[in-house]
Amino acid sequence: MTQKEKESLLKRIEKGLHEYYVAPYRRSFARAQRDEDDLFMLLVFAENMGVPNPAAYYTLELLPLVYDRFHEWHKRMGMERSPLDHIGCC
Amino acid sequence: MLLKLANSKKILFFGGKGGVGKTTVSAATAAACADSGAKVLLVSTDPAHNLGHLFDRTIGGTPTRISAGLDALELDPQETVNVHLKEISSSLHKLMPTNLYSEVDKHIALAKDAPGMHEAAILERMADVVEDGLRDYDKIIFDTAPSGHTARLMVLPEVMSAWTEGLIKRREKADRFAEFVRELGEDTSMQDKTIGNADDSEQERESQIRQILLRRRHKFTHLRERIADSDMTSFVIVLAAERLPVLETIELHEQLKQASISVDCLVVNKRAPTDSGEFLKERQEQEEIHLATLAKTLTSLPRQDIFLRPHDIVGLAAVESMAGQLT
Repeated sequence: MTQKEKESLLKRIEKGLHEYYVAPYRRSFARAQRDEDDLFMLLVFAENMGVPNPAAYYTLELLPLVYDRFHEWHKRMGMERSPLDHIGCC
Repeated sequence: MLLKLANSKKILFFGGKGGVGKTTVSAATAAACADSGAKVLLVSTDPAHNLGHLFDRTIGGTPTRISAGLDALELDPQETVNVHLKEISSSLHKLMPTNLYSEVDKHIALAKDAPGMHEAAILERMADVVEDGLRDYDKIIFDTAPSGHTARLMVLPEVMSAWTEGLIKRREKADRFAEFVRELGEDTSMQDKTIGNADDSEQERESQIRQILLRRRHKFTHLRERIADSDMTSFVIVLAAERLPVLETIELHEQLKQASISVDCLVVNKRAPTDSGEFLKERQEQEEIHLATLAKTLTSLPRQDIFLRPHDIVGLAAVESMAGQLT
């Protein structure tokens, strides 16, 4: 084994160890972020799902920004079909 | 008393029970201020507009010149809602395949008559008028809708800014998590499951969402600050010296106090004159009883009385002649 190969092996081990320690944290943060995003979607779509929303006028203008996430969201929330009659994403 | 107050403030609201003469009194005050050299914008927030009827001419959603120094404007919530929804639906169209346009439009059409839409639209226009209006005018005078509607409108900026604040906090939290994920390096295991991929378009989207929310918050807090600033803004309650208007005035005053809006003057409109026969004299004595009730609860509020006139007040000349009676 040459010096160079040795170094790259060490690098690889280091990378693997780093990944080993960091991955669980990264996963929890990614989950937490996803939960926040889901909650946000719920707030934006609240009025359409029958939950009174004091600011429907203002959440509507966020609609264009979250519309394309709608399908993934309702699937993840355990709803096989789109919960809104007039959004026929699936 | 009313004039002195009007001259010392930049924004003046006139509110009270339906039918007591809010429109007439606010128009007369506006005319008097314009007469003394100020540039005044008179704004009606009542969806059932009366300014046009009072001045006997068409006044719409854009400032209309009434006389030198006096412009009038009737906020049109339906028009505001339509414009707002049209913008949303056109930006949605950009995102959606053509065959889904009708779905999008159905969704938006349903929102048109959703509860609170008109209220929000009036609030939005009010915020614009307060923000832009003071650039072009020295004074803005609001002729508001009857008590309940207005009391609600006055607390709305606070409710709305709390609501946007909540949303912004949530977004910040989500952004922080996203940042941690980015710092911890690429993760392929969650890529298909998270909706917050850390690529550029995602960040772009996040910043757009935040911009919209921040713009909203700015509008609400700005309006809220102006309304609650008692050096700048004052609320005048108009009433008739009758039992129901008096009771409603006391209630409205309490509601406004809770929203920390300062009420600085009461205008008792259509008072019965004492020198016009037995019938009106008797009426005047009855009025004093009601006004005593009023004085008992709202002890320190200055009062301006305006006497009943034999003829209707219609047109600019009549409004100006009434303005001449204000002190």
